[in-house]
Amino acid sequence: MTERATGFWERFQQIPRYYIYLLLAAVVIWQILFPMPLPIAPSRATQGVYDAIAAVPDDKLILISTDWDASTQAETGPQTEALIHACLQNHKRFAIMNLQPPMGVKLANDIAERVAAEYGAEYGVDWCNWGYKYGFDNVLIAMAKNIPKTIGDDFYGDPVTDLPMMKGVQDISSIGLVIEITGLAAITEYWIGLIQGVYGTPFASAYTAVMAPGYYPFLDSDQMKGMLVGAKGAAEMEVLVHRPARATVIMNVQSWAHVLIIVLIIVGNLGYLFARTRGRQRA
Amino acid sequence: MWASLQSALQPAPTAAALVRNLILSVAGSVLLLAVLHRFLGPRGRRWLIAFVTFIGGLYLGLEYFLPVRKQILWPTGIPNPNPERAANLLTPGIEPVGIMLSVIGAFTVGLGVYSLCQVHGRNVAQRRAGWHNSLAFFLAMLAMLIFGLWAHYLPKLDTPSETKPWAESVYELLFNGLFMPLQAATFSLLAFYIASAAYRAFRIRTAEAALMMAAAFIVMIGQVPIGAWLTSALPTTGTVAFFRLEALGEWVMSWLNTPAQRGIVFGIAIGALAMSLRIWLSLERGTFFSEQG
Repeated sequence: MTERATGFWERFQQIPRYYIYLLLAAVVIWQILFPMPLPIAPSRATQGVYDAIAAVPDDKLILISTDWDASTQAETGPQTEALIHACLQNHKRFAIMNLQPPMGVKLANDIAERVAAEYGAEYGVDWCNWGYKYGFDNVLIAMAKNIPKTIGDDFYGDPVTDLPMMKGVQDISSIGLVIEITGLAAITEYWIGLIQGVYGTPFASAYTAVMAPGYYPFLDSDQMKGMLVGAKGAAEMEVLVHRPARATVIMNVQSWAHVLIIVLIIVGNLGYLFARTRGRQRA
Repeated sequence: MWASLQSALQPAPTAAALVRNLILSVAGSVLLLAVLHRFLGPRGRRWLIAFVTFIGGLYLGLEYFLPVRKQILWPTGIPNPNPERAANLLTPGIEPVGIMLSVIGAFTVGLGVYSLCQVHGRNVAQRRAGWHNSLAFFLAMLAMLIFGLWAHYLPKLDTPSETKPWAESVYELLFNGLFMPLQAATFSLLAFYIASAAYRAFRIRTAEAALMMAAAFIVMIGQVPIGAWLTSALPTTGTVAFFRLEALGEWVMSWLNTPAQRGIVFGIAIGALAMSLRIWLSLERGTFFSEQG
């Protein structure tokens, strides 16, 4: 009897990984096909981003640095979309740019084109795309002094000075808010060290959930006006702009996936605990 | 000096000027490299690189830290060409230097492509194990390059209703239909590995592990809507509201995570400063050509 029980608890610790993969896939598919709507309340960090967008003076631009690619698109894609909704709903003009990885500029451009069409926003008047700019800190240092010269051509290869919304845009003082959307570490440090810290340009950000914990100190010190944390932040922004979309679905899926992982951890530990107790009793 | 450097770095006004500039730049670079190669040994090269690194770091550091004035380029009496923006003597050079560094940095992309072609070309030529993967690299790179450039330089459509040119359609198919899903799928596999690893490795063997697990559970549940749903019966204001899972999750992130992260950031910053100084002064072992003695 004791032998059988010990074997049972040991088996609890050794569920084959393929069963775990199948369970997770089942939970994901279940929630995509039959989503259970759950309440989503904007956090302080997300509200901070929205308020920072709303507070940008009409004569200034919002600069959205879309430093992400397809690998983090599940989180950063909906973040970008919700943020563009927030800009256009608040009648703010915005420019997209990209420091790294280069494919982010096209992905963000596709999103901006689609969202702008919903609001009848015109390229070059309400929004524009400055394209991929190589050089991280060099780009930021030079851009702070002279935006048209540093940026040169837009995403489509036309001079940015030809765009109506760029009239009067000279240096970083023409930017009312920088929003950094990224799945890469260290880019934020450039923005805060070279732009926010030096010129006092308001700064907000959107990160993948896994990297967000590292940036809470900047939020706490008010160097960052707000922060979107992963798909959760995107879903909260979707609530604020009244456009429930992909992130809201993702949060349902993620909720139940987290529950599954917690259940698995508990099961594994119960197996470990009982197997150890049985082992001690036998000893 | 900065004005002449700035004008030299401006885009060529005509195609003929572009070709002339390109030929002059390539010829000049080849000549300079040939002279350096002929007259500088490994020791001389090391000194040259150390010198350029020191001057570059000194320039950027001084420009950042020197005082600035709106009317003059401090510390000289030269009038500031852009009085709206405070500047010092070195500030006008920031733009051309930034462009120059970007151009130099862009060469590393070409170097990367050359290196990849060399490695994979050797694999294909010598039919090494996995050579078909190297062949796939060449096919993928050429396909993206050809159709990407083709689509980019096609004349733009006047009306959106016009059918897309086939080169652009092929490029969209390669980018949106192949590259993006492949990259996204690779990253999404992590979810399965994390679930499996958490189940297998996360065991409460010590008090610290128990603490970590409690924090992980609170954050994992508090960061998703199900956390708010589970404790939705609790009031949203007052002392009890603190025990709502989303509030507890926020508390862990803001009050426990933030001080720990701040400590880590301070440590990293000090380490980075020390490392930067060592590289700037060429004191770091293995920085340049150390293998050449």
